[in-house]
Amino acid sequence: MINFMVDFSTANWMGVLWCALIGVGLGLILGLLLFICGHFLEVKEDERIAAVEKMLPGYNCGSCGHAGCHEMAEAIVKGEVKKLSTCRPGKKDKNYDPIIAYLSEHPDKDGNYQIPEI
Amino acid sequence: MSVFVAFVLAILNAMLMDNVVLSRFYGICSFIGVGNRVKSATSMGLAVTFVIVLATVVCWPIYTFLLVPAGIAYFDTVIYILVIASLVQAVALFIRRFSPSLYRGLGIYLPLITTNCAVLGVVQSNTDTGLDFLSSLANGVGTSLGYFLVIFLFACIREKFEGTNMPKAMKGVPIALVTAALLALSFYGLQGII
Repeated sequence: MINFMVDFSTANWMGVLWCALIGVGLGLILGLLLFICGHFLEVKEDERIAAVEKMLPGYNCGSCGHAGCHEMAEAIVKGEVKKLSTCRPGKKDKNYDPIIAYLSEHPDKDGNYQIPEI
Repeated sequence: MSVFVAFVLAILNAMLMDNVVLSRFYGICSFIGVGNRVKSATSMGLAVTFVIVLATVVCWPIYTFLLVPAGIAYFDTVIYILVIASLVQAVALFIRRFSPSLYRGLGIYLPLITTNCAVLGVVQSNTDTGLDFLSSLANGVGTSLGYFLVIFLFACIREKFEGTNMPKAMKGVPIALVTAALLALSFYGLQGII
């Protein structure tokens, strides 16, 4: 007869406690270090990229030929995308029109407007 | 034998005789995935080298001075994964900050160093076989240099294939696997030198 019940009376509760303590402690220390690293190594990006990325569908489908919506937004802001309809899941009223409206209000640092077509 | 000679011999042993990719089959995913361009293979090799050496240096004291005295040596794998994941995250931040083109070139394979079993394998085998700090450092350095050497050679050979007129069925991954097998055979010939 096999007893499937776990016998907790012989369990090493101190070991379990140490596991939890060391695991949580190391996680906190490493997380803090990463937070500091991330703070000092922050990459300053054009803030329009984040704004345009929010207006894209956000599926990261790649059908536009870019690696993801973030890269697509980067290319749009740089003026490398001539036609917004290369973003196939995008809708005219939901995605294309807001992006064009946004970019026609927000020029780049030199005051140039990069406005793609639909 | 002086400590230095032993150190160098241990590095050579882990690098050539007991190569991590070709004789232990660790880290095959990035080996096949990134090993088609010399530039990205070199940078991948450097990133993995950095992560392996740092992981060895960090994990050995954690195991010896924290896990063993607390009597929870069985908990090592979880802790190693935690440390390695944080290291890779830090490396990704550095590369993204200082070389965006490299960041884009490495793509998905950069965060995948986390799950590159070469890293976890080295750290785990170091503590499982009870090596001291210097030996495990030598093992880590040798293993990572071996990974770097092999992925670099592999990328050089694969770049040569691009202009050749080979049968369609062999193009791409099939010829890469054949190349890897021949590389493994040639490294097998180095076994037993020391």
